[in-house]
Amino acid sequence: MAEPMKIRAKMEGDAADVKVLMSHPMETGQRKNEKGELVPVHFIQSVIATHNGKTVLDVQWSQAVSRNPFLGFRVKGAKAGDKITLNWTDTAGDKSSIDTTVAA
Amino acid sequence: MTRAALTPRLLRNVKRPHRTLHLVGSTLWLALGMIVCHPTVAAGNEAALRVRGPAPLELVRSAAPASWQRQKVDSQGSSWPQTDWAGYNTLTTLATPPGNGAIHLITPTEGDAAKGRQLAFDRTRGGSCVACHVMGKDTPPQPGNVGPDLSLVGATRSDEWLFNYVYDPRTFNPGSIMPPWGAHRLFNVVEIRDIVAFLKTLKVVHTFGDTQENPDSRTPPKETRDNLDPTENPAMFALDRGKELFVRASVQGKSCASCHAAPESTMKSWAAQMPRYEARLNKVLGVEEFITRHARATTGAEFPMQEADNVALSVYLHHLSNGAVIRPDLSSPGARKAAASGRALMQRKLGQLNMACVDCHTREKHAFKWARGQYLVESRGTIAHFPTWRTSRGDIWDIRKRFQWCNVSVRANDLPPDAREYGDIEMALAEINKGEKISSPGIRH
Repeated sequence: MAEPMKIRAKMEGDAADVKVLMSHPMETGQRKNEKGELVPVHFIQSVIATHNGKTVLDVQWSQAVSRNPFLGFRVKGAKAGDKITLNWTDTAGDKSSIDTTVAA
Repeated sequence: MTRAALTPRLLRNVKRPHRTLHLVGSTLWLALGMIVCHPTVAAGNEAALRVRGPAPLELVRSAAPASWQRQKVDSQGSSWPQTDWAGYNTLTTLATPPGNGAIHLITPTEGDAAKGRQLAFDRTRGGSCVACHVMGKDTPPQPGNVGPDLSLVGATRSDEWLFNYVYDPRTFNPGSIMPPWGAHRLFNVVEIRDIVAFLKTLKVVHTFGDTQENPDSRTPPKETRDNLDPTENPAMFALDRGKELFVRASVQGKSCASCHAAPESTMKSWAAQMPRYEARLNKVLGVEEFITRHARATTGAEFPMQEADNVALSVYLHHLSNGAVIRPDLSSPGARKAAASGRALMQRKLGQLNMACVDCHTREKHAFKWARGQYLVESRGTIAHFPTWRTSRGDIWDIRKRFQWCNVSVRANDLPPDAREYGDIEMALAEINKGEKISSPGIRH
């Protein structure tokens, strides 16, 4: 099941300011549960952002990223009405996707 | 529940002038089918709810999760203190007698000043003396100013006075907010002798090079994050979840929306009128306990307090009231009695640290001062943002979890979330916060 995600994109000067909040446990594999058992590794590994279909951001994440990650970035050359899409894939192979249009 | 089953019961409960309207509604439904009727019947439903009297509530069981003992871990796995502090005052029991003015030591003391210095600065024992006092030239970073500057105390006070004040300040000052370090066994007699020896070395005024180090001139923190920005506040995910739960059918086929079809218009100030005194239970119900008991009595769904679904519904219902001003109903004697009891509980000294809510959170005492790096605020302005996302804990806290945390912070056992005492305090706080605008879910460190 796709985890929920929030995205917002707004023009600031000549670039679109994009903010994304993802809902994910981002388990490091080193934390123990109440019974003292290790909680298995489970984190977002790959994040890809596209601007009108063209990849503008491609990142590999690790355990070092916090739970419910926040990602902010700026896309130069974007215009109001352009489409920004964000995809992630985690270590369990789960995927999630969200898109938005850039606000003026 | 189907529309057909719901309608006759509603008609019995609606006053005569409305009856015609409802019959029209029903006829329309029969004639035009679900699409037309759904909103029509639902609107009638809200009217019916208003004349039906008190909301159905389950009145027998506890609203806390069945296995509740004390808070153990947050959703992110951060643990809560588990020490048993039942030997000290809690909100429910008075276990420690007030200071009786006894002098505990009358001979001059000899102690190890180096050890005393270490104990005074040790954060693991009582939060360290520096949490509240500036202590001479060696003061560690970010001292507090709840207590007086002790930089000159060695020049002005005797060994005997210092020993007895640290052992139990109530000997000299019954209203002191300083923990009775000896009487409450935080430090033993030998350790207090060492601390006194260190205090005796403090004889020079401490001047701060940095205004941000000096607690008297440090800038108070200001929350600048936009709590309603969904890309900024993770609690907004719970808002979506709450919205879903509101319309999700229970095993009995009913959802909250079966009776509350247009919550955006009909419940836009409901949460602002909570908590409410409930005569059937003779206690105050906040939004969260109301959800648990009302759902059990209506849809049959189980939403125990402080479990994720209950919190999500609470976030949703508070969010509907955003912008509405807090105005608890204090018209009944029961509500006024609860608020008075809450105000009294806020004055009660609790736990091993022997502190009351009012000690830190009223202008008259120590609000707007620093306890180490934490800035103390007064009670007004502290509830309108609940439930709130706590960045430091990675969790959404309802107001009752905040009370539980206050308890363990002063080293008193936390109570179950549906405790009567918490209800009374919630009512007292709602009265103090009357007129504040709801803005939920909040976000705080």
